[in-house]
Amino acid sequence: MLELRGLGKRYTVREREVVALAEVDLALPPGSFTVVVGRSGCGKSTLLRLLAGLTAPTTGEISHSRGRPTVGCVFQEPRLMPWLTVTGNVGFGLVGKVAKVEIAARVEAALALVGLADFRHAYPDQLSGGMASRVGLARALVLEPELLLLDEPFAALDAFTRRGLQGELTDIWLARRPTVVFVTHDVEEAVLLADEVVHMDGGRIIGRRPVPLPRPRDATDRELVALRRAILDDLSGSAGRRPQPAQDFLHRDPFLHRDPFLQQETTP
Amino acid sequence: MVADAHWRDIPSYERMAIPGLARHAGAACVLIALLAAWWLASAGGLVSAFLLPLPETVLATGWELISDGTLGAHVAVSIGRILAGYGLAVALALPLAFLFGVSPAARRAFEPVLEFLRQVPPLAMMPLLILWLGIGEAQKIGIIVLACFFPIFLGALGGIAQCDPKLVEVGRVCGLPQRDLLRRIVLPAALPSIVIGLRIALGQGWRALVGAELVASAAGLGYMIVDAEQLARTDIVIVGIFVIGTLGLLADFGVRRLIARTAPWLRQRTEITHA
Ligand SMILES: Nc1ncnc2c1ncn2[C@@H]1O[C@H](COP(=O)(O)OP(=O)(O)OP(=O)(O)O)[C@@H](O)[C@H]1O
Ligand SMILES: [Mg+2]
Repeated sequence: MLELRGLGKRYTVREREVVALAEVDLALPPGSFTVVVGRSGCGKSTLLRLLAGLTAPTTGEISHSRGRPTVGCVFQEPRLMPWLTVTGNVGFGLVGKVAKVEIAARVEAALALVGLADFRHAYPDQLSGGMASRVGLARALVLEPELLLLDEPFAALDAFTRRGLQGELTDIWLARRPTVVFVTHDVEEAVLLADEVVHMDGGRIIGRRPVPLPRPRDATDRELVALRRAILDDLSGSAGRRPQPAQDFLHRDPFLHRDPFLQQETTP
Repeated sequence: MVADAHWRDIPSYERMAIPGLARHAGAACVLIALLAAWWLASAGGLVSAFLLPLPETVLATGWELISDGTLGAHVAVSIGRILAGYGLAVALALPLAFLFGVSPAARRAFEPVLEFLRQVPPLAMMPLLILWLGIGEAQKIGIIVLACFFPIFLGALGGIAQCDPKLVEVGRVCGLPQRDLLRRIVLPAALPSIVIGLRIALGQGWRALVGAELVASAAGLGYMIVDAEQLARTDIVIVGIFVIGTLGLLADFGVRRLIARTAPWLRQRTEITHA
């Protein structure tokens, strides 16, 4: 069990305090698939960074009942090493840990999975945005981690590729049962993938919705559509809520109208 | 007016995208024109043949210097010095840059001194070096080290400082220890800057060396030039200048080829017009 207790993270930006995460309590059972949704800037990436151990919490703690899990992380940006080919990037985390032949085999399998086998010798600056993000995904999957953290991994992909990779991710999860925390802005994606959808706002968890539907799931399934609608209502309900005072400036964000939630709200 | 404005709207790289052949043709034309101007000025008596010998005289002198081994000997001396000085500068500058990269305390302690030294042109240090090291090899090599050190050091330091912390995080998530983070992420990320520093240093070192050989030396290309000047052999001086320029070009070309071979991804990132 992975438990977050009173987890908080503050940043000081130009002598102003920004509360990125405020008192998050969350228990992630082993092998669970949690999807985090919430408005831009609500602290989702911060939560993942804390889980990945990349930054220390200002308050609270993360406890692991079975020792520190191995972590695979798909960042919000591809973060590829420009000096390595696709193969080198995907195998990056395995070098020095497993035998070379095994690295080669696992990398090939991961590349086939994300549909980039033909680009194994390409360098990152020769890839499109969506290809680069798939390389980032393969780099995390190839580690076969116990804890898999994904920050909007499919945001840069077309609907078709995205649907395919959602299926692959579900299969991998069913086969190996890592604990998954998945951040997305796409509510349909959330209900397709999750055991539980966690709704964040202003650095807090303000809602949780279990998704007790069998897999494989169909986006047009009635129950699924109803759940999706309910989550969209949750999100639009929180849209007018004032977040932490320190986050005030978000409401003056001129790009806020691009928030996908707001767009989805206006469609009937 | 309108046409002019339109032309300015075209991104400069499109204007510069002349096919390779045409670009080389342009360079060839300039070279031929310069040679022709030289020949005309000299043969036409515009400049006395003493000050500017005919191209063919210079060619003949060059051939003579090559066949009697004089040129080869001077070139060997100069190259030997540059190899020693450059190698020493690399051996000093790279580890120091890495030390400063990982230890901000060391950096803060040494930075003022290094900043001060950086302002002093290497040739200005020559009198001191002559007093300390005499006029032998040590002094020449010292000058080269001084000239090469800062480009290499600053290139490496800048490269390390500019390494994207987001890439380092990728390594941290994989559980890499500090040593591997440096070796597998920081070093390769800094490589373009390091390589640029190495390239600039090679040019600077070469120039400083020839300068040092001009002032106090008994061998080397710089010495060959001043010696010829004292004998009023303008042709030898010109041969020397050609050789110095050509060797500089060759060295730079060699470094670039090496980069292209060993690190193709570095190519666009390390192209500089002039060192
Ligand atoms: N390194 C940092 N320094 C200062 N403030 C930060 C830092 N990282 C995040 N923040 C702040 O913390 C808040 C939450 O950021 P976070 O990246 O977690 O949002 P998010 O939910 O992932 O948003 P998005 O959906 O846009 O990716 C924001 O207000 C942000 O400005
Ligand atoms: Mg984010």
